[in-house]
Amino acid sequence: MSESRIRLAHGSGGVETLELLERLIFSKVDDALKKVGNGVGIDYPDDAAAIPLLSGEYLIVTVDAYTVNPPFFPGGNIGVLAASGSINDVLMMGGRPIAMLDSIVVEEGFPMNDLETIINSFIETLRSESVALIGGDFKVMPKGQIDRIVITTVGIGLAKRLIIDKPRPGDKIIVSDYVGDHGAVILLYQLGGDISRELIEKSRLRSDVKPLTRLMIPLIDKYGEYIHAARDPTRGGLAMALNDWARSTGTVIVVNEEDIPIRPEVSSYAGMLGIDPLYLASEGVAVLAVDPDVAEDVVNYIRGLGFENARIIGEVRESEKYRGYVLQKTVIGGFRILEPPRGDLVPRIC
Amino acid sequence: MVTARKIHFIGIVQGVGFRPYVKVLADKYGIKGYVRNMGGGEVEVFIEGDDGAVNEFIHEFMNNRPRAIYIEEYSITEDVPRGFSEFKILESSNNVEAISIIPPDLAICDECLREVLDPGNPRRYRYPFNSCSYCGPRFAVIDSLPYDRHNTSWASFKPCPYCQREYDNPVISGLRRYYYQGVSCGSCGPRLRLLTSDGEVIETRDPIKYVVKLIEEGSIVAIKGVGGYHISALATNDDVVLRLREKKRRPTQPFAVMALDIYVASKLVLINDRARDVLTSPQRPIVLLPKLPDSPVSKYVSPGLDKEGVFLPYTALHYLILMDTRDKFLVMTSGNIHDQPMCTDINCALRKLGKVVDYVLDHDLRIAHRVDDSVVRFTDGELVIIRRSRGYAPMWIKLPTKLRRPVIAFGADLQMAGAVAINDKVILTQYIGDLDYVETLDDLDKELRWFSRTYRIKDPVLVCDANPAYRSTWLCHRWAEELNAEVVSVYHHHAHALSVAADWNETDQFVAVTIDGVGYGVDGMAWGGEVLVVDGASFNRYGHLMYVPMPGGDLASLYPVRMVISYMSRFMGDEDVINYLRRLNLLRGLPNGEIEARVVLRQLGSSIMTSGVGRFLDAVSVLLGLSLRRTYEGEPAITLEAAARGGSLINGFKVSISRANKSLVIDTVSLFEQAMEAMLSGAKVSDIAYTTQYLLGRAFGEVACDAVREVGNRNVYVGGGAAVNDYVIGGLREELRRCNADIKLPRRVPPGDGGIALGQAYYLSHFL
Ligand SMILES: [Fe+3]
Ligand SMILES: [Mg+2]
Ligand SMILES: [Zn+2]
Ligand SMILES: [Zn+2]
Repeated sequence: MSESRIRLAHGSGGVETLELLERLIFSKVDDALKKVGNGVGIDYPDDAAAIPLLSGEYLIVTVDAYTVNPPFFPGGNIGVLAASGSINDVLMMGGRPIAMLDSIVVEEGFPMNDLETIINSFIETLRSESVALIGGDFKVMPKGQIDRIVITTVGIGLAKRLIIDKPRPGDKIIVSDYVGDHGAVILLYQLGGDISRELIEKSRLRSDVKPLTRLMIPLIDKYGEYIHAARDPTRGGLAMALNDWARSTGTVIVVNEEDIPIRPEVSSYAGMLGIDPLYLASEGVAVLAVDPDVAEDVVNYIRGLGFENARIIGEVRESEKYRGYVLQKTVIGGFRILEPPRGDLVPRIC
Repeated sequence: MVTARKIHFIGIVQGVGFRPYVKVLADKYGIKGYVRNMGGGEVEVFIEGDDGAVNEFIHEFMNNRPRAIYIEEYSITEDVPRGFSEFKILESSNNVEAISIIPPDLAICDECLREVLDPGNPRRYRYPFNSCSYCGPRFAVIDSLPYDRHNTSWASFKPCPYCQREYDNPVISGLRRYYYQGVSCGSCGPRLRLLTSDGEVIETRDPIKYVVKLIEEGSIVAIKGVGGYHISALATNDDVVLRLREKKRRPTQPFAVMALDIYVASKLVLINDRARDVLTSPQRPIVLLPKLPDSPVSKYVSPGLDKEGVFLPYTALHYLILMDTRDKFLVMTSGNIHDQPMCTDINCALRKLGKVVDYVLDHDLRIAHRVDDSVVRFTDGELVIIRRSRGYAPMWIKLPTKLRRPVIAFGADLQMAGAVAINDKVILTQYIGDLDYVETLDDLDKELRWFSRTYRIKDPVLVCDANPAYRSTWLCHRWAEELNAEVVSVYHHHAHALSVAADWNETDQFVAVTIDGVGYGVDGMAWGGEVLVVDGASFNRYGHLMYVPMPGGDLASLYPVRMVISYMSRFMGDEDVINYLRRLNLLRGLPNGEIEARVVLRQLGSSIMTSGVGRFLDAVSVLLGLSLRRTYEGEPAITLEAAARGGSLINGFKVSISRANKSLVIDTVSLFEQAMEAMLSGAKVSDIAYTTQYLLGRAFGEVACDAVREVGNRNVYVGGGAAVNDYVIGGLREELRRCNADIKLPRRVPPGDGGIALGQAYYLSHFL
């Protein structure tokens, strides 16, 4: 046996991460200490933690470390990403974001101008969503000991009613917008070289990073009781979000390939890279599981809020054989398993 | 003196007229006792009588029984005479004494065909489902064992009084119908029905004549056969064939051609004695044979290939249809859509094939198991099975060592079959297909459950491929949860090697050459051109093809131009790669042309590496302009093989072999470079195709010879999907001769992933 080491795949957010966390952390924490009271913690896979308050409301807390190569990308930068990401996690838990804490770690030699731009974007995002910045930390690491910049944010919010992700059989799956834009931009950038720049310019593709406050607050007000799950499909994309849901509820989720909104540029570039766009991150999209009786109304309402590309892409079903899995109905008419993402890309075709 | 014996037979002893034959034989010698089917398949015979008569009975049975009765094992024990007054066929017992082979589906026999063609035979003239004890559908119609009529699809058809009399009494029409579970005739058997693709029934007195008329007019018709539906059309009309291609979304995948008889077939392809034997065998597979230059078959039936897949009718229905056509041969391709399983019922046929075909010729003999046509070919003169299904499955294969616990093997993902194994028998399922679609995965699940139930598998160990991304691996883990069973995983090429070894009863340490597209390797890379030294449960990678990037993962298999870029960039700069791609007109092999080529160049640094022979052959095929895309399994490599026909060795090519770490590495990059130089300097495509493939085989042979000298075992086992390639195998054989080693290709299972499950089961026999 060779000595086991951490591989990049362990941090992919996919199957490998899940297995590692289960072994390393979840299995070692007492059940009683996985959450506070009747709240939500690491006992259940969701966007954020919830702590019950005496008022009957819940305090919503979430933490995320943001690293992105490049820190500046078409459509945003790591500052917007760090603010939006944690705001969205609070929203997807059913909460109203009220405050944030940050921890910024920068590499020695990082351009001061760039740092300022990033922090300005960060603060601007918080201001536009009326989220208070109530604490933080700032450190510099010697050159080479960190890749440029890492921002960690803690998002805090309050919720009257939690959206604990438990899709029910019959629910319709709704997405608020085109999926995979952010992931596609980042992938194209990471390709590097002239071709990378050329493609980004030519496609005018931009990251979709944005806070979803204007979508989620009114939506929860009006339809909260019908929304059985809400998730922003970041790392691992739509495939990850839906697989999480199917697995944690023992349902099967069936999506129609032709109904999923994907920009043609995104599918074309993902196609060139050999990646299914359903595995690409979105940073400003909501996925919802909604009671079928109101699903059409919800879609129309979301469109009315300015998200014109919202649509139903599938539904939740019961199935003994495929419980816990996501099936994709292809354009040709057969069903494929949409597997949970994994970090190791392994070829199958012989 | 009166003596008694109890005999147990295992083999193909149910469903092939075994019991009636024994009864008639016993009566002939005045022997008393009984014969009965045991559940699970074996047969028990109790005989008592005069000493001499008993011995003569046994002697005649052993030497003169009908061909359809295949005995694999038997035991004879002395018993005490019980004073029986006659010889009886007893009701089936449900006691399992031992497991037995489930009979495969057998092509119509000569006698049955004679009846169908005889206008003087009132009940069976033009009867499409005529069959007898020695022929007809078996596995395809069996719901459960023992093989009795009520456990089969024949249960829906009550025999008419005539048929019943034939069944009851051998004097009426002899052994062929006596006790035959599927006994039926035109008045009591299944019926044909002709429908439009919208499901409307067309009233006609003779659906066969009507269908022939439709086909001759250019219609495409789905025809229900033994194990599924075919799609049939004129093979001589380009427009019809092209229309079928468009509707089936199959731009180039070859269609099989069914010819009325060996005489008709001999006008289409070159048939030698061995080919004739296979074509006319009861298994009646599709045989890939060299096309004749003046073959009347449309060139669009198997574009770009030097071989045609030809087979002969295996039911009266097929024969009657072909007989009435002008051409006497037709396209007869499997009735499925795009990588999904072939349809086996009318709902599927109308729902899925409705868009492809104009009409459906249906019948009401239910298909219990989907059974595709088997496909075989000759590789460097040896018969190899490419797809093992109708006629072959589910016959078992015996392992050289016994398993102490039952095993369920989940195979691999493409062109796959699963298996259950018990004691020393491995029972491979019929061909299941590619597991991309849930529909196919469901089929694997269903068949494995059926075989587990039928062979009463208890407390099994599950075995699957080491590839974590395989759907078969996924299913295996699902079963493990359900059964709370232990899972063992085997590396792909280890399983390939053990599969061939199991077929040849090899138990010593041996050298294997495993060559295919890709399989998950120990280092997480995509292996596929390996020389392994295998010692049962362990193996050592003795040599392999040079690693090259596989840009885009599976995309590099689907768009093999990516592999050309991968190889080229090992010996030239990015701009040169683009220039050469342009010069060779290869950019059109990428959906986004040059931009994509540049993307691919950027991807190379972070790609998974491959040593797959398939990817190398793909790249050469594209380089030579023989293919641009893979639209069916192995397409670029198959067209490369076809192009090498008639080619000769180019002097000056050299394949170098070097040592890296502990393995020998075959330098395919420089071989590719030499092929490219030859191409640019105007050498003949057939010569380049021949030379690269042949020399690749020679290089494998060199490495294998080194290994043979170390190991001592002179048998070299060759497996993997590329092991059907004439020139690679030819080169390998040639080189092995120099070290007095023998090449062993699998005989009873496909060398490709359809044989993996056998290797997986054999792997476990080293532990269990
Ligand atoms: Fe293989
Ligand atoms: Mg949520
Ligand atoms: Zn017959
Ligand atoms: Zn009858």
